[in-house]
Amino acid sequence: MTTATRHATPTNRHAAMPTPTATDAAMTAGRDARGGLTVERVSHHYLANGRRTDVLDDVSFSVGAGQVACVVGPSGCGKSTLLGLAAGLMRPAAGRVTWNGETVRMGPTDHLGMAFQQPGLFPWMTVRENVAIGLTTRGKSRRDARRIADEFLDTVGLHEFKDAYPSQLSGGMAQRVGIARALALKPRLLLLDEPFAAVDAFTRLKLQQEFKALLKLDRPTVLFVTHDVPEAIALGDVIVVMSQRPAAVKTIIPVRREERDRASLAYAHKLAETLACLGVTSDMEGE
Amino acid sequence: MMALGHAVGRRVLLPLVGVVIVLAIWQATVAIYRLPLIVLPPPWTVATTLADLVGTRAFWRDVGVSLYEFVAGYAIGTTLGVATGLAMGESRRFRQALTPVIESLRFIVPFAWIPLTILWFGTSYAGKIMLVAYAVYFVMTVSTARAIAHVDPTLTRVGTMLGMRPLRLALRVHLPAAMPTIASAARAAAAIGWIAVVAAEYIGASAGLGLMITNAASSLATGVVIAGMIVIGLIGAGVSAAILAIARAQPSAR
Repeated sequence: MTTATRHATPTNRHAAMPTPTATDAAMTAGRDARGGLTVERVSHHYLANGRRTDVLDDVSFSVGAGQVACVVGPSGCGKSTLLGLAAGLMRPAAGRVTWNGETVRMGPTDHLGMAFQQPGLFPWMTVRENVAIGLTTRGKSRRDARRIADEFLDTVGLHEFKDAYPSQLSGGMAQRVGIARALALKPRLLLLDEPFAAVDAFTRLKLQQEFKALLKLDRPTVLFVTHDVPEAIALGDVIVVMSQRPAAVKTIIPVRREERDRASLAYAHKLAETLACLGVTSDMEGE
Repeated sequence: MMALGHAVGRRVLLPLVGVVIVLAIWQATVAIYRLPLIVLPPPWTVATTLADLVGTRAFWRDVGVSLYEFVAGYAIGTTLGVATGLAMGESRRFRQALTPVIESLRFIVPFAWIPLTILWFGTSYAGKIMLVAYAVYFVMTVSTARAIAHVDPTLTRVGTMLGMRPLRLALRVHLPAAMPTIASAARAAAAIGWIAVVAAEYIGASAGLGLMITNAASSLATGVVIAGMIVIGLIGAGVSAAILAIARAQPSAR
């Protein structure tokens, strides 16, 4: 991991930002004057063939500026919808989402980076062009965009594939390109939808580590949807546990630094606590 | 060796079988019914007529005129059609306003316009160019609008996430994503456009393959008529192959 040398221009936001501690105060619903992302009493549903499917039911939580919130919950519970709302890709049926105190509106912004569950790479562009196009869209010169794209492709271990087309990549590789594309934007708000789902276990651990190192540099506010509870503990300052659809927030679990050490008892307790919230009890209790 | 033999068989021999069967039926028909040259000349006579024709300057002029009318009309129709289709695919208002016009006009086949184009443009090139453009335009408009509407919504979300505003999204994401569909529509449109040129020339033209054929027919030079028909078919196939090659050369086709 050599990212420290890559980011020659560190942002001065570090100073203005509170250290990411998972205080309960930061997690309470409602307006957060210190910035970050707030989800206020959001409900959402889809209409298909005249039938209404409720997806989110009165969801409220907030993520302080520079914090990482991992969202866990059963499949199909509306986690992806939550990200879409935070990104301004759709409008909530009820409630509102705010970013730095302002309601998130539909349409393009330049504070956002997002990695989707389906990587959504442009098939007519090379891997490098896929990563670079967001940068040129946001006003970077072609040369800078190319250079930054190469750096981030290096980070996700795809440097040799920079001239390949998406159809030549495996699912896991395509997903890594999607992550590189989101990270290369150096977004203030980073939304990730199971970004490491299609990646093998070993690469996954490696990417988690590199991802943490990258986060330390720019300190974006992160909303990270995952199925993987150990991953949520490893990366999150808080874990937002969602219920079955229509999803509501079951609990918000803060994660302390010492609880991230996978060899520690604290980690085991945190894992058991989080799994219990998801309805998974420890094996011992059943016996 | 067996495999090689099979490959040659598939690529060369099988297509030849079809051609040979058609020629055999043709030859047999002429022989059995003792048809005079004016009604149906045998294949070999047509082949020699074609060879003679290819050696004349008038023939190449006719080919040139027909191709010019086609290429000009095709370029105009494709460009306008893709532009209209893109606008219809992107903007719901535009789509709602234009759909009734497009849907009613596109079923007025180009040939129905031939009398009017002759009335307005006489036998000049302009009438044919307009007719080809018209024929191609509707195919391209409808296909492009449909292709744009069917672009994977994830790509739209990605583009928006990257910060693209609607115009950029349309040109940088939707249009290239729809390109494979648009390219195959462009091939179908080429066939329709080429048919429109020849048909228009049959009815009123001062030069072109269609005129060459109608002139030959009125002087009972049936060999020339059939030779001209074969040339029309070959050029049509060539145009279609050329457009396929252009489409394949784009990276989006990968």
